[in-house]
Amino acid sequence: MNREELYAIAENWFQENSWKPFKFQKDTWKAFLQGKNGLLNAPTGSGKTYALWFPIILNYIKSNPEYQTKHKKGLKAIWITPLRALSDEIRQSAERVSKDLGTQMTVGIRTGDTSTKERASQKENMPDLLITTPESLQLLLATKGYAKIFKDCTAVVVDEWHELLGTKRGVQMELALSRLKSTSKKLRIWGISATIGNLDQAREVLLGTESTALENSVLIKAKLNKKITVKSVIPKKMETFPWRGHLGLHLLEAIVPIINNSKTTLLFTNTRSQCEIWFQKILEKHPEYAGNIAMHHGSINKETRLWVEQAIRNASLKAVVCTSSLDLGVDFAPVETVIQIGGPKGVARFLQRAGRSGHRPGKESVIYFLPTHAIELIEASALQQAVKHTVVEDRIPYLNSYDVLLQYLTTLAISDGFYPEAIYNEVVKTFCYQALTKEEWQWLLNFVVMGSQSLQTYDEYKKVEIEADGKFKVNNKGIAMRHRFQIGTIVGDANLTVKYQKGGYIGSVEEFFVSKLSPGDIFTFAGRNLEFIRIKDMQVHVRNSSKKTNKVPSWMGGRLTFSAQMSDLLREELYKVASPNPSKEGELSIELKSLKHIFERQRKESIVPKPNEFLIETFKTRDGYHHIFYPFEGRFVHEAMGSLLGYRISLLSPITFSLAFNDYGFELLSDQKIDMQQVLDNNLFSTDYMLSDLQKSLNATEMARRKFRDIAIISGLVFTGYPNKNIKMKHLQSNSQLLFDVFRDYEHDNLLFKQAFTETFEHQLEEGRLRLALERIAEQEIIWKACEKPTPFSFPIITDRLREKLSSEKLANRIKRMTVILMKK
Amino acid sequence: MHNSGALFWEKKSMLIISDVHLGKVSHFRKFGSAVPQNAIHKNFELLTSIVTQFNPGHICFLGDLFHSSINSEWILFEQWVTSIKSQIILVVGNHDIISPKKYEALNIKLALELLIDKFLLTHHPEEREGFYNFSGHIHPAIKLKGLGKQALKLPCFYIGVQQMILPAFGIFTGTYTLKPTLKHKVFIISKDEIFKVDIIS
Repeated sequence: MNREELYAIAENWFQENSWKPFKFQKDTWKAFLQGKNGLLNAPTGSGKTYALWFPIILNYIKSNPEYQTKHKKGLKAIWITPLRALSDEIRQSAERVSKDLGTQMTVGIRTGDTSTKERASQKENMPDLLITTPESLQLLLATKGYAKIFKDCTAVVVDEWHELLGTKRGVQMELALSRLKSTSKKLRIWGISATIGNLDQAREVLLGTESTALENSVLIKAKLNKKITVKSVIPKKMETFPWRGHLGLHLLEAIVPIINNSKTTLLFTNTRSQCEIWFQKILEKHPEYAGNIAMHHGSINKETRLWVEQAIRNASLKAVVCTSSLDLGVDFAPVETVIQIGGPKGVARFLQRAGRSGHRPGKESVIYFLPTHAIELIEASALQQAVKHTVVEDRIPYLNSYDVLLQYLTTLAISDGFYPEAIYNEVVKTFCYQALTKEEWQWLLNFVVMGSQSLQTYDEYKKVEIEADGKFKVNNKGIAMRHRFQIGTIVGDANLTVKYQKGGYIGSVEEFFVSKLSPGDIFTFAGRNLEFIRIKDMQVHVRNSSKKTNKVPSWMGGRLTFSAQMSDLLREELYKVASPNPSKEGELSIELKSLKHIFERQRKESIVPKPNEFLIETFKTRDGYHHIFYPFEGRFVHEAMGSLLGYRISLLSPITFSLAFNDYGFELLSDQKIDMQQVLDNNLFSTDYMLSDLQKSLNATEMARRKFRDIAIISGLVFTGYPNKNIKMKHLQSNSQLLFDVFRDYEHDNLLFKQAFTETFEHQLEEGRLRLALERIAEQEIIWKACEKPTPFSFPIITDRLREKLSSEKLANRIKRMTVILMKK
Repeated sequence: MHNSGALFWEKKSMLIISDVHLGKVSHFRKFGSAVPQNAIHKNFELLTSIVTQFNPGHICFLGDLFHSSINSEWILFEQWVTSIKSQIILVVGNHDIISPKKYEALNIKLALELLIDKFLLTHHPEEREGFYNFSGHIHPAIKLKGLGKQALKLPCFYIGVQQMILPAFGIFTGTYTLKPTLKHKVFIISKDEIFKVDIIS
């Protein structure tokens, strides 16, 4: 069959469904059938799944002309999805196409939810089209004889690639693809990504730097113009609207008319605990919604989530309170309105959420922005600008993630073993490891075999062994088993499942939260009030309770930061306030106008900075001496700048700070007063020696210590235990904090230890952005205001309780002073 | 009290040490977790230096001397034992699962508890009428707070009316934070010094 005939099959199918294929779909079919790799840039709900399922199936038809009667068994294509919740939707569309076109192709799902029995039967007889997650794909690589499974695979499609890019799961994917390129000779690699700033780089990461795959590839963009309208919920009485806070419950009543006027509304919150609280409060204030609203977040059990998703599709719910768990995939036609509660912190995320509403082509998307405190209205104003000019962020991919590579090497060693030379040549062609040197490679090999760099006689280290012919192999079953459990744990704290005592799974919470509960305590979870009974075998046993409570589980993961783009926009908006410009561009938005009295209050003791001004405020409260700086650069940059400045100040005289920061500025709080004039005279905002100063600040070590947690787990240094299994592994559990200290004291040239610092500087402190910010400040005039009372701008910062510490004093002196203070209390 | 976490009983010339957890590093390495090897030697260096400093007649380990079943660190332990002159007594703790014969071969005395005058030495803290209890097991630490929202967590000697809990001596052992009451006395240990903390409710 030639290509034209194949297209005809596809177009007929569209016609029968009275649809018309988009240009991007046809372009993708063509490129795929020409044997090309590529990246497809298309938003959710645009028919992107059909853009790739079709050519995969058409390609099978092409090489098997008797496809309608004869079935050629074996894996043909792998579809990777970052969220297993999405896999069912994808399976349905794949099955539909393969059935309608009269093929006998089978579709299967393989994720963490797949039963052991199902997995075993898949191993015997792989489905033609396999839908899986990056972790489950790694687990396939840990299977004996995996090369045979992938031999005839013609395509790997990585869905929502933008979500994986910039995470270690993305690196996991890069490594898996580097292996598949060798095992599957006819492989095409395709990614699907929403719009991000660095699409070209996204393609390079997916296909491999300077690889033949990249040379033979295309970037296809679906140009679907969609109108997005942003409306801010502006409090009627601005005077009583709080200056701080992150819940936004004051405006609860304002959303009632919005919900009532629309078929289905999604309320996006930024955290799972916020989601729980909003759900609870809506029901409390408006019991009439009972049964008509639901909640959806990543820690609720799968059945409930699926039920909610189905209910949205059926339009049987008025509103759903959710988190980023509903950002992706799943197409919800009935959603008419989206409400964003609190700043989304990034333009891309905001646009994606807005796109969840008005899903039909040609319909406009409406998103409401509900501020949680007054200053957030400035953010709303900036978002308006972002949507108007379609400014979108980059996703920064990881480089040299030794931990993921160590995990991957062990994975290969437990399946069929590997020969270092062959694997090295594959690995250095990936984006992540393009700069990996032979020395580093040898270090990593030594690490998996000897657990160190030199062999010592009495050492009993056991992991990977080298066989007579030079093959690296794991022969110990216990090690292999522990490693398989570890593969899926690339993210997250130790999670405990929450269950009723009599059975019945409710969801999962982080250990950190449970550790603070004592039996009899009541907490709200999954919309229920639960009484904590006990922890047993990694399970939290609970029973229903009628008592009221205000305890809501908190999840440590992800405090989001402003992207560089958001920060720019935010400053632009502020400058409009500071120096009014009568032209149309300089006109104040409704949001900014509503903040009039806040700005007045701010000006009473301080200023609203102009483009050439950098504001510093100082004042004293009973907490101590506050020193607040306003670069408006996003919390990560502020964290870095705060550490840097704190360190430099501490060189002037011994002092101890606690550091707080948000997206607008940062605060150095101390029990002593800083001589601000000295700070200004010594030019402490200089970019000279920036990196080395940053490294020396204690804060960088503290951050690296936290980064090390994931690194220790991924690389297999820390064993997290068997999920839900009653196997006593306590004697092997340790905590990464302890390990970090041991490495710092006894093996500080360890690559994994070093990696923790590199990640801190590149991903957490955003070194590059910090430099630009400091250069900007160097050109600004510094305005220092000594205030009597906290200003409106300072309020959200000084009330932040999550703080970093920094000290140049001797421990002894600090302890002495702290004990004295305890006595005074 | 010494800032290493050891306690020296001058009158009896007895050095009391708790929770060394020898062999823990090797145990982890044996199961494929690459904890740095240098940490192994550090424990023995610390032990040697404290013994040299006090030159005690007796050394009493309050349990958890060895973290797990026998491994290569035992050889280092044997060497260390033969290098010192003091009589060693081990009050058995929950981690001490190595055969008593092995210890006896090194001339180490084993006991479930020790009663010396009015003092009771155990691994797990306990309260017994008429005795003052020295114990380990908990790995105590406490959290200090100060102005400017400062906080510090440090290992300590934890002293009550009826008992004293010793900090863990070994490295790579971790801590557990306790909340003292007004009846307690707390001594924090740090790298070079030991500090008394005043507790105010």
